[in-house]
Amino acid sequence: MDNIKDFLKQLISLPGLSGYEAPVREAIAEAWRPWVDEITVSPLGSLHALRRGQGPEPRPRLLIATHMDAIGMMVSQIVDGFIRITEVGGVDARILPGQPVIVHGRRDLPGVILQPAPRLLPPHLGEKSAIDMEYLFVDTGLPAEEVNALVRVGDLVSFAQPPLELTGETLAGHSLDNRASVAALTVCLEELQRRQHVWDVWAVATAQEEETLGGGFTSPFSVRPDLAIAVDVTFARGPGVNSDYRAFGLGKGPVLGWGPNIHPALFKVFKNLAERLDIPHAVEVMPRHSGTDAFAMQVVAEGIPTMVVSLPLRYMHTPVEVISLKDIQRAGHLLAEFITSLEADFLEKIRWED
Amino acid sequence: MKDLIRKLVEAIGPSGYEQAIRELIKEEVAPYADEIRVDAMGNLIVRKGQKREGGLRIMTAAHMDEIGVIATHIEEDGFVRFTTIGGVRPHTCLGGRVQFVNGVRGVIGGEKLDSMERVHSFDRLFIDVGATSKEDCPVKVGDVAAFERPFLDLGKRLVAKSMDDRIACAVQIEALRRLQTTPHEVYFVFSTQEEVGTRGAATAAFGIDPELGLSVDVTLTGDTPKGMKMAVALGKGPAIKVRDSGMLADPRVVRWMVEMAEKAHIPYQLEVLEAGSTDARAIQLTRAGVISGCLSIPCRYIHSPSEMVDYDDVQNAVSLLVALLSQPVNLA
Repeated sequence: MDNIKDFLKQLISLPGLSGYEAPVREAIAEAWRPWVDEITVSPLGSLHALRRGQGPEPRPRLLIATHMDAIGMMVSQIVDGFIRITEVGGVDARILPGQPVIVHGRRDLPGVILQPAPRLLPPHLGEKSAIDMEYLFVDTGLPAEEVNALVRVGDLVSFAQPPLELTGETLAGHSLDNRASVAALTVCLEELQRRQHVWDVWAVATAQEEETLGGGFTSPFSVRPDLAIAVDVTFARGPGVNSDYRAFGLGKGPVLGWGPNIHPALFKVFKNLAERLDIPHAVEVMPRHSGTDAFAMQVVAEGIPTMVVSLPLRYMHTPVEVISLKDIQRAGHLLAEFITSLEADFLEKIRWED
Repeated sequence: MKDLIRKLVEAIGPSGYEQAIRELIKEEVAPYADEIRVDAMGNLIVRKGQKREGGLRIMTAAHMDEIGVIATHIEEDGFVRFTTIGGVRPHTCLGGRVQFVNGVRGVIGGEKLDSMERVHSFDRLFIDVGATSKEDCPVKVGDVAAFERPFLDLGKRLVAKSMDDRIACAVQIEALRRLQTTPHEVYFVFSTQEEVGTRGAATAAFGIDPELGLSVDVTLTGDTPKGMKMAVALGKGPAIKVRDSGMLADPRVVRWMVEMAEKAHIPYQLEVLEAGSTDARAIQLTRAGVISGCLSIPCRYIHSPSEMVDYDDVQNAVSLLVALLSQPVNLA
């Protein structure tokens, strides 16, 4: 893609909260359509795009999952024309007061999140403490009757911060988790146009990762891939976490996951490939739940060898997540190189020793 | 319908030990079912209708199991120490009564309270079944019990120890009775082990492979003094779930349920529940994914021995379920 930055800006400007991915799904389908042979939508709303390989049938299948759903909020109650909210996905309530939002009611309404004055809050919430989400409200500026007519319990509330280009080829905005990975998979699909590959590639934009890993549990059941890769974001180094071994350099390349959710032989193939191609990368130890679709995909049906490739991201689950565009390009390239390296008998090479 | 409710809520059937309640429900549904089977997890699966043009294979699930306790240790002097099955909370236990699956009854006592401000944790509670020693104690390690509390009919409001989820079992039974014709192949599932992780519904859904899944379960309310901040209240109609802490209802299902309720002039509420989940979660994630939603019955004091529902809500839930199942489904 000539301008992955513009595409990513378009993606993060679209709503598509967990369970309600349709707006962003359509944009992704449109971008991928010229490069794939078939596009379908799963019962849960995941986008399945098949790009056939050039090998003889039956071809082995690779599934690459990038979740497209975003975190946000939902109307839980309406009190005197002000809107109480709950989270969709994990939202850090500390950063909510003062945020601009869109309330997706009978029509879209701009709003701001407000924090009541300390004297209006229960005494245990001191003047200096962060306020739990149940005490916050959204103000749309409308009188109560109009709010009652236009908004109802269960309506979505999404962040309204526009994308902000920072210097140094970085982008700030909400929903970069995980639309940045969708962009990386898009880079990969584009690169595959100019390459030969034996395997079938299923590019999947999964639904509901932030809530239930719903797409991760269900999409592989219908695709039945021989291998599956989750592409997601991980924590980038930043203020306070510069020396933390669990954080990775922003702009220093994709991060390869290592742990029980990852097939060790598959990891090794990725590691060797990145080294051979001189793609800067890091290794992330994921000792338990990888926090990605890989956790779900690994145990679907008879089980699937899985891999996690991550993009370093700062300020995860806030409306000002920061990503490096270079990392997106590199991750996309690494995926494309992996796909073209897959030979028909690849599965034999990663078999467990008996 | 109250007689049916009484019968169902007074039965004892903690998760994994649903035999008595299953037999009871089987008797109730037998005259109306086209097919009845019990799967390996103990789910009672009741089919009504055959898929015709414009019809779907639909699964609805109401769980038969209830929360309860299990004996872990018998003391020398005959007191029974226990742990929980499902989401039992200690502050609802002290002074309560239990009935074991084997018929033995007992009361829950506790060690001396250090402070009225602090509730005992379960390891400081015990069950007294009237035994004087380990030898004459009629309860063995591993025996399971549920809370015992008679059904209470307050007229408009009904109270029982297991409204969660026997009230939904009653709703399904009544809907089955009233469902005259349907274009769908409807599987009313009376599921097991919901309270320990929606486990019965998971296998039932795998076996049935439905095109549309609904759970019928209770939901919390925000209508008690200084209670939860929640929009659902008793008596304002059954709730159509938008989300709970374990699942996002399919927006197409929510829209369809709302439309059908409005068309049939059945009052309804929209539900956003911040604690707990239902069988719909398991159904939704089955196989390649199932379009799923949930019909909820508002209920106060869930997971206490006195769960309260509104009788109008219950009857409206039946009407809505019948309306949903008797016509072709429009998910556009």
